[in-house]
Amino acid sequence: MKIGIACPYTWDVPGGVQVHVRDLAETLIDMGHDVSVITPVNDENTLPPYAVDAGHAVPVPYNGSVARLLMGPVSAARVRRWLRDNDFDVLHVHEPTAPSVSLLACMLADGPMVATFHTANPRSKILTVAHGALQPSMEKVRARIAVSEAARRTIVEHLGADAVLIPNGVSIRAFQDATPLPAHTPNGATVVFLGRIDEPRKGLDVLVAALPALMDRCGDARLLVAGPGDSEAVLDRVDPGLRDRVTLLGLVSDADKPRVFSSGDVYCAPNTGQESFGIILLEAMAVGAPVVASDIDAFRRVLDDGHAGRLFPVGDTEGLARALADLLADPGERHLLAERGRAAVAAYDWPVIAEQIVGVYEMVAGDTPVSVAASTDQETIRHSA
Amino acid sequence: MLTTLREVTLVVVTVAVVVMIATYLTWLASRLDRLAVRVTDARAGLTSQLALRVDAAGDLARRCELAELGEAVARARSAHVGRAAGGPLDNDVEAVENALSRALRSPAVAATGDRAPDALHAVDVAAARVALARQLHNDAVRDVRALRGRRIVRVLRLSGRRGLPAYFEIDDALPERGDSDNRNDNRNDSTNDSTNDSTNDSTNDSTNDSMGADDGGRLDGDMSEFGGFTS
Repeated sequence: MKIGIACPYTWDVPGGVQVHVRDLAETLIDMGHDVSVITPVNDENTLPPYAVDAGHAVPVPYNGSVARLLMGPVSAARVRRWLRDNDFDVLHVHEPTAPSVSLLACMLADGPMVATFHTANPRSKILTVAHGALQPSMEKVRARIAVSEAARRTIVEHLGADAVLIPNGVSIRAFQDATPLPAHTPNGATVVFLGRIDEPRKGLDVLVAALPALMDRCGDARLLVAGPGDSEAVLDRVDPGLRDRVTLLGLVSDADKPRVFSSGDVYCAPNTGQESFGIILLEAMAVGAPVVASDIDAFRRVLDDGHAGRLFPVGDTEGLARALADLLADPGERHLLAERGRAAVAAYDWPVIAEQIVGVYEMVAGDTPVSVAASTDQETIRHSA
Repeated sequence: MLTTLREVTLVVVTVAVVVMIATYLTWLASRLDRLAVRVTDARAGLTSQLALRVDAAGDLARRCELAELGEAVARARSAHVGRAAGGPLDNDVEAVENALSRALRSPAVAATGDRAPDALHAVDVAAARVALARQLHNDAVRDVRALRGRRIVRVLRLSGRRGLPAYFEIDDALPERGDSDNRNDNRNDSTNDSTNDSTNDSTNDSTNDSMGADDGGRLDGDMSEFGGFTS
């Protein structure tokens, strides 16, 4: 099958949608499909051979994160050429409501289209206002996929359409045999955090605030933090007496991400909400790290209601400190959670998930490949861009 | 001179307005055309998935000698013959497909998990694909009906002679299977692998009198049954 995938966010900036698109594309290629991805990118050299540059994107705050978005005549021309040159059996757009490459592809193309919605945003004012403007593009989409129940509810409420639930995948192969980073072998007392450190909803502040209470219970506890952001600002918020217990690794490469998980004894996800899906939990589970996570819907689902990892009430520093201290004190329990985590994550392995997605492709693909829509559509793009 | 300028302006503005209106109407018409294609394709997909489900159910009924399921299959087959001859996906088809859905959820069918696990799995996969195809079909119908409900489309008859497509409403809720093929169960604790204990009393082949027609059952979005189908 010839599959075109549009990714709306900048390829070389870390983000869940980009990782999803990369893993999906590579799994489909492994399965023998012919795949091309179009995406905004800063440094063209970071693109894999199956991806095409759609241009530079502009940073815009969106849904609590900074999204880098892209609309304009140059990108539109690139998307049009990509569509014309490829004759895809199916066009798969990701997050098509964000003003970027996916929406452009949706506007410009005609034929079998599938859309995946990643964001859960129950009260999106943007979507409510933009519904009318988006409808002409959205009505071309033949099948909608939501990566989580929350994302599905968002579609139902804002676009008035249903969606199939196919969760995010995790590439177990890439994570299962991770070795610890040099100089960071687990010492039985290390808690790992991984995520953008200056983004409030990732919850590093909750973990930092829980440190004193954790130290009371587990005197030799350490915190290993990986992720981009302002390290100084984070250290300022740490109790001065505990600063030597916190190690900030800064941005780590994709290749080192599994190793970060295996450099600690417990992985902690103290997110304060608005997570559509707990992909990072799945990655930690694939490595075999015991997980302690906020009790939000998405995490609760991934952790099988707390069976495959510990849940604590969102923002509850005392509860977090207790859960971490309990686990650090109990290697047997850590081992048990790691095993359950590995078992739970098997259902999310990319080959399993990609097969479900191909099932949707087969349902929408027909005799006519994807083409560039008639010129009238190009007019509307000029008006709305 | 002033008059000519005013006249020229008037003509230019009028032409611009006419062009804009014409462009807009053409664009609306092209959206309607595209949606019509989408509905046609979705309907074809749904029809073929329904036929595949009937075939899979027929295979199971034959191999396990399930009379009740066999009858439901036969009725669905005759409806398919009518549809192949150009008949619509109408209430009659909905009724026989509903009956087939109910027959597929009967304890007698669930009990075939021991004798013909492959055939039962094929039925479940086909049923999941029917549910997906139906969702895609009804999504397309919903989009068409929304656009055709617009006043300008109705007044100017932009959709031509095409009839208004109808939703296809059947109860296609998937049966719960406790077997190991269900990936969701794999995620759960091992205490959860009960093997249809409750369905083993074979006297329980009542004719589902108590089960009222349950339309509007929606795909609950679970794609796990697709598992082994595409490999």
